[in-house]
This record gives sequence, C-alpha cells and structure tokens, in this order.
Amino acid sequence: MSDTSDLVRRAEEAAQNAADEHDEQKGKYMTFKSGNEYFGIKIQYVNEIIQFQSITAIPETEDYIKGLINLRGKVIPVIDVRLRFKQEPFEYNDRTCIIVISVKSTVVGLIIEKIAEVVEIKEENILPPPSIGRSDKAHHKYVYGIGKVGDSVKLLLDPDKLLNDDDLAVADQANDMIIVEE
Amino acid sequence: MAEEFNTDGMLDMYLFENEQLLEQLQERVLEQKDADCFDEDSINEIFRTMHTIKGSSGIMMFDNITAVSHKLEDIFYYLRESHPENVPHLELVEHVLEVNDFISGELEKIRNGNPVDGDASEIIERLGKFLKMIKKGVKKEGGELPPKNVHEPAKQFYIAPVATSASRFYKIYLTFYPETEMANIHAYKAVYALKEIAEDLLYSPEDILSDEESAEVILREGFRVLLQAQCTEEQIREVIGVGYDIKQVDVFECKAEEFLQGFDFGSQDAQIDLQSSVEAIEAKAQENEAKGKEEAPKAPAKAPMAPGDFVIKSKEPGKHKTLAKDKAKAEKASFISVNVSKMDQLMDLIGELVISESVVLQNPDLKVPGLNLNSFNKAASQMSKISTDLQNVIMSMRMVPLTNTFQKMNRIVFDVSRKLGKDIEFEMIGEQTEVDKNIIEHISDPLMHLVRNAVDHGIETNEERMETGKPNKGKVTLSARTEAGKVWISVEDNGKGLDREKILAKARKQGLLDDSKPDTAYSDKEVYQFITLPGFSTNEQITEYSGRGVGMDVVIQNIQAIGGVLDIDSSAGIGTVMSLKIPLTLAIIDGIVMETGNSSFVMETGVIKEFVRVQENMMIHEPNGEEYIMIRGECYPVLRLGKWYGLKEYQESIEDGMMLILEVEDKKICLFVDRLIGEQEIVVKPIPSYVKKVKGLSGCTQLGDGSIALILDPGGLLD
Repeated sequence: MSDTSDLVRRAEEAAQNAADEHDEQKGKYMTFKSGNEYFGIKIQYVNEIIQFQSITAIPETEDYIKGLINLRGKVIPVIDVRLRFKQEPFEYNDRTCIIVISVKSTVVGLIIEKIAEVVEIKEENILPPPSIGRSDKAHHKYVYGIGKVGDSVKLLLDPDKLLNDDDLAVADQANDMIIVEE
Repeated sequence: MAEEFNTDGMLDMYLFENEQLLEQLQERVLEQKDADCFDEDSINEIFRTMHTIKGSSGIMMFDNITAVSHKLEDIFYYLRESHPENVPHLELVEHVLEVNDFISGELEKIRNGNPVDGDASEIIERLGKFLKMIKKGVKKEGGELPPKNVHEPAKQFYIAPVATSASRFYKIYLTFYPETEMANIHAYKAVYALKEIAEDLLYSPEDILSDEESAEVILREGFRVLLQAQCTEEQIREVIGVGYDIKQVDVFECKAEEFLQGFDFGSQDAQIDLQSSVEAIEAKAQENEAKGKEEAPKAPAKAPMAPGDFVIKSKEPGKHKTLAKDKAKAEKASFISVNVSKMDQLMDLIGELVISESVVLQNPDLKVPGLNLNSFNKAASQMSKISTDLQNVIMSMRMVPLTNTFQKMNRIVFDVSRKLGKDIEFEMIGEQTEVDKNIIEHISDPLMHLVRNAVDHGIETNEERMETGKPNKGKVTLSARTEAGKVWISVEDNGKGLDREKILAKARKQGLLDDSKPDTAYSDKEVYQFITLPGFSTNEQITEYSGRGVGMDVVIQNIQAIGGVLDIDSSAGIGTVMSLKIPLTLAIIDGIVMETGNSSFVMETGVIKEFVRVQENMMIHEPNGEEYIMIRGECYPVLRLGKWYGLKEYQESIEDGMMLILEVEDKKICLFVDRLIGEQEIVVKPIPSYVKKVKGLSGCTQLGDGSIALILDPGGLLD
C-alpha cells in the first residue's frame, strides 16, 4: 500500500519537474533589432547564436536566402531577415549575428543586425497586431503578436511563417492585386 | 503472442534468420525451376529450411507460419523418403514460392508490429491436395508409403554433428543448491553456454524450457549433460562456471560408445541428423523394427519411437563431414550485422575527418615563409594515407553485390511468364557486381519495371514466335558490369523490339513532335526516349503488369534521382536492350574545384574531358546571344557559368578564363569558368531542402578551408 502511494508521489514529482523545465522557457523571447524595430522569437526555437561567417551564395534563389553556411560540418541555409521583411538591405559588420533556429526539424540561420536580450513577456502583455489597412498584410503574416516590455514593444515572430514560402507568395499576390486595383 | 517474455532481441534474430532462410530458399528453388525435378540436395535443403522455420516459429508462437511450414515440410519429407515419380515440378515450385511469399508477408507484418493474422488455411489445403495427389501417383505404382511426418511441437530437434577424431566425450553432472528457484532456467543457461563449445550435446531432463516441473527433477536428481567437444575438463568447468546457483559440477570423461548409449533413462531423447542420407534413415527404421529381436547397440531409445522422431547417427561416426551447422557457425563468426544508420554515421564521420584533414594540411598558418615543415609533411602524408585507406574500407563496407536484387527479378520473370503463358528463359550475368547499398535500394523498383516490361511487352506470345520463326523460348538477360566508375545494368530481351512507327504516331497524336519536322528527322534514340514520358504507352491492352503508361516515367525519375541514365536500344524483330548507367557510389566523388565570380563550384571529374585555354578568335557569336567555339575543328556550344547563374564579378574575357569540355550522354558542351582551384575528393551533401531546387546543382560540399562549394550537375547544365 505504502509502495503505491510512494510511486504516485514520485510520478507527480517527475511530472512537476518536467513542467518546471518547460516553464523555464515559457514566456521567454530572444529579441533582436532589425531596422528600427525590435523583434522577438520564442526561445525554444532558438538553437544557438553564432558570429557572422562567410556565406556561399546559391544562384537562382529568392534574394533573402543569402546562401549556405557550414555549421560544424552541417550545411544550413541562412536568410536575411531584413530582406525577408522587404526592408532595405544592410551592410554586414562585426555586430551582425546569425541566430540558428530550428522549426519542425528545419534548421535555418537568420542574419540579424544586432542581438538584443532575452526577455520575459507575460501572456497578458501580448496583444494581437492591430490591422491598419490592407497594405500591411504581408507584414502581419509573420508577426503574430505585439509584446509589451515596460515602455517598449517587441514584434513577436512566428518562425514557421517566417520560413514558409507559400505565405509570402500569397502575400505577394495580395500586394500585386492591390496595386492593380489602384 | 508470447507476452510473458521479453522477446524483442529474440524477435529480431528470428526475423533476420528466417528472412535469410527464405531468401536462400527462393534462390535455390528458382535455380532449379527449369529442371524436371528437384535434386536430392535441394529437397533436403528445402526440408531443412522448412523444419527450421517451423521450429523457430513454434517457439515464437506464430501458429500460422508453423502450420504452413509444417505442411510444406510434409511434402518434402515425402519426396525425400519415397522419391515419387511424376511429380508435377512446376506446380511444386509454385507451391514452394507461395509458401515463401506467405511467410515473407507474415514476417513483414511482424516487423511492422502488426498482428500475424494471415490465413494459412487455404494454402495448407492446397498443399494437402498436392500431397495427396503425389501420394496417389505413387500408390498406383505399388510403392510403399513411409511413416507420416507427424507434427510434434513439444519435441526438440537439433542437428547432431559427427565426431571427429579429436573429439572427447564427457558426462557432466550439475547439482544445484536446493533453494534455487527455476532451476530449469539455470540449467538452460549452462546448456546454452556449453552449446558454444559443443559438437554434440544431450541433456536430461529434456524439456527444461517448456516443462516447469523439470525444475524439481533437476533439484532432486541433478542435471545431466552428455557433451562431445574438443576441449579439456577445465574449459568445460570454466564455461559452466560455479556460481550462486550451481553447487557442484562433476565432469567425467567417457568413451564414445558410452556417449552414444546416451542416458540410461534416455527414452525421451529426440535427436535428428538431417545430414544423414535417406538410406541411413531407412536403415535406421529397419533397425528399429528389428529392435524386438536384438537390441541395437547404438539406439539410445528404448520406448517405441514416435514417427518422425528419429535418433540417427551417421553410419561412419569417425568420418568428418561438412555439416550445415558447422557452416553456419563459421559464417556467424565472420559476419556481424550492423544497423545501417550506424554505418551512415560512420560514413558521415569519415567524411568530416577527410574535410578536417584538409583543413589542417592546408592551414594558412603553415604558409608562413621560412618554416621547416619536413617532419610535418612526412607525418601529414602518413596521415593522408591512413585516411584514404579508411575511406576505401568504409566504401567497400557499403558495397553490396547485386545478387539479391537480381534474384528478385528472377522471381518476377518466373511469375509473370507463367501467368502470361510465355516460355521464357532468364539469364543473369555479373550479378556479383558490387554497388553502394543506397543505390541498390533505388534501382530495385526501376529494374522491376524494366524486367516486367521485357516479359510482358518485349517477348511475343508463343504463337507469335512460332509465326515469325523464332526459337520457341523467349529470353531475358539481366547483366551488370562496372565500367569507368559507373555500373551498367542492362535488361535485354529477344522479343519483337520497339515499334518506331507506332511510337512516332502516338507521339504525334499527343503533340510531342514538331509538326514541321518529318518523322525521319528524329533519330531512333530520340524516338525511343518518348516511351519514358508520363502517360505514354503503346500497349493497346492494359494487362495486369503493364500498359498503363505509368512505369517508364517512374523508372526514369528514380534513376535520375541517383544520377543515372537510361539508354534504350532496339531493333525490330530482334529485341530491346534497356541499359541503366548508374554511379557506383553517391557519397564520395572525385571532383574538380573551380571558381567563378566569388563562388566555388565542383564538377565530377568523370564528365570533364579536357581543360582548354582558348582565344577570342575561336569563338562564334550568334546574333541571339548564343555562343559557340571551334576547337580542333569541332564546334561546341558554350555556357558561361557566371552568366548562367547571374553571378557578380565573373570573368568576361574569354582569354583570361578556363574552358572545360564536358561530355554527358554523348553530348558535348563547353563550360566557361574563371579559374581552376584543384582536384579533390569531395563528400557529397544534399542542399538543405529549405532551399528550392536549383537547376544544374546536385548538392554541396565542404572544401578544405571549411567553406562550402556547390556541386554542378552536368545533366542539368545541358538541358
């Protein structure tokens, strides 16, 4: 009898530990600066942050896919976040970093201008992105929320959409249609 | 199923062994399918195989497999004992293959963790009918029926190898501590250990695994083992080992006669020597009958024996014979099966090693002037040698002969030709050719399509062959050879050949031809390539096997995926040859590293015919921008790599760059690059799937300095 209750207790403890570990990452975001905005990405997607290194360009791909890098023997593609957001390209310097993220077992490097910090954003401080006009559509595809940290705001990214090409194609189409309408 | 045991390890072994047995069985059956009947060896072997499968499936409690294999064993038991005449051989072959398929299917289910639910009753019924039929045939001739081979699941059979002169005989008594629980399991442990060194082994009580009461017997009376082995008493003691369970081990050496007498209570002992000839069994059977009159000295059994439960020794115990069990043991010692993923991992690691080796050896730190690098260079060359050897070894480990794949084709030819009523001979040439395992996986399906096509479309029906005066028998030849770092596999038939007119007509109907061009403008090869297009089939009738117009395009896709090429050659009325040209390996290739703009590229060495420096006056510019070059009277189209990929800062002037003449599939093209870097063994890595496929690139690799180069696919550049 006592055996059983002991087992139950231990099982509960184990479950608690697992939950704690999960909790440790919950609500934490890796933030970085791109353009004038700060972006956040859920920390469990982030594998590591590496220094900028030379990139082998791949011809005939989208401009934001800068090419391939060698990550300790593994070849991974890197994308330029600025170009992904259709912003002006920037010059790479010694502050430029690559955040290696893994989404659904796809490992991709994100080139970003400047790494910021890891912040904790509580659920209640995350607002859905306000939609102002249709022309912003493309942008909202990968920004799923706006997190408030003190006075500043971070645009929270959905890494899945960030990597996924289809959304962009749809967004492009939407943009084109708007232009035609005008 | 046997839930009460943890059978995982056993199950793996069971699957592995039985799959191999089935493969060998199929091979043997197909070898003899054209004979009038199976020879004695094969009958024995099939009997043995079925017996083994029956036994192991019984232990694993796969009842349907046990039942089917038992039934087939019956048939072969009968064949072995009675040598019946007039056995319909092809029918028998089909029955064996049917059983083979059934068991393979069940094993597949087991492997996938599905319940083993195949219904064996139909097959068993058919086998039963077949057995009755051949028995009737014999009865008419007045032959005598041998005793029926009764299924006795509880009995343990094993093969008793024959003594050699160096063998010694021991009686071993094991006494267990009385408080030992499940003494039978402990006894089995000892038996298991002894089996490693034993040439022959008898023990009592007999059924220690299945009979739990034997534990009490063992505790009460001790556990007795008769051992024939080539080892000393000390070795035996060492193998058994006195532990917490075994109180005492008594080992007595004894004479062969004593050994053969067995235990004085040995009526339960069951032993079967599958190697002994039928005569020996018959002799033994007679001996048993005569036992009432005089006690046969060799027979350990006193009780009347159950039929099928033979205790037989070879007639000449002193003579050494090569036994099946011996052979199996030898193989086990020299082969281990390794998980493929581990091999892949090793392969990756060696790839990394090769790269980091070149990182070290080409390190810029070494280029400081004035360094004395003599001993470094010596050490470095030694290391390079070892790593090259290492690479060769791992490559050879991954090389697998095509035999199995070819055997499968043999089966397909057999099945399809029987169903279609065509008389077809199948020949295999060079099935020993070795190919990388990854590649074998990829060519199995395409080959199957090609072979089916050859049998179904290629070879005419018997009547058609008669009309055209061709030899009655159609022939399909499957051959493999290596040439220039490639494997050529061809499927050849002596059938009607491809119908050029028909293909052209169909192509025109589907709008594949240029209307302005006459039919004669297309070469035979071009025409034949049409049949590889999706939805293109000239077979009017869709048969069970082919004609739906899918197939050939799948073949092409699969082959192209591994960098191979399909070549079709045919002549009307004589036959068709489909040749696959496939790289030997995918993992490590010899490549030439070159640079254009700021990017590095690698090209497989094999396709580069030569490097040429050219002058501007050799160039021919067409108004539409296309360029050609005349080299030694031959005109090649020119492709500028920088321009093709829209790179930045590439060499414009033709005289400052380097021209590569590439030859792919009989087509020649000149590729213009900025400069050459060198030759290197490169480890091929796929471009991450996140990046969409780029035309002309087949992968990427790491260079000596750790940077990444893109591997050019010459086929893609040509299109």
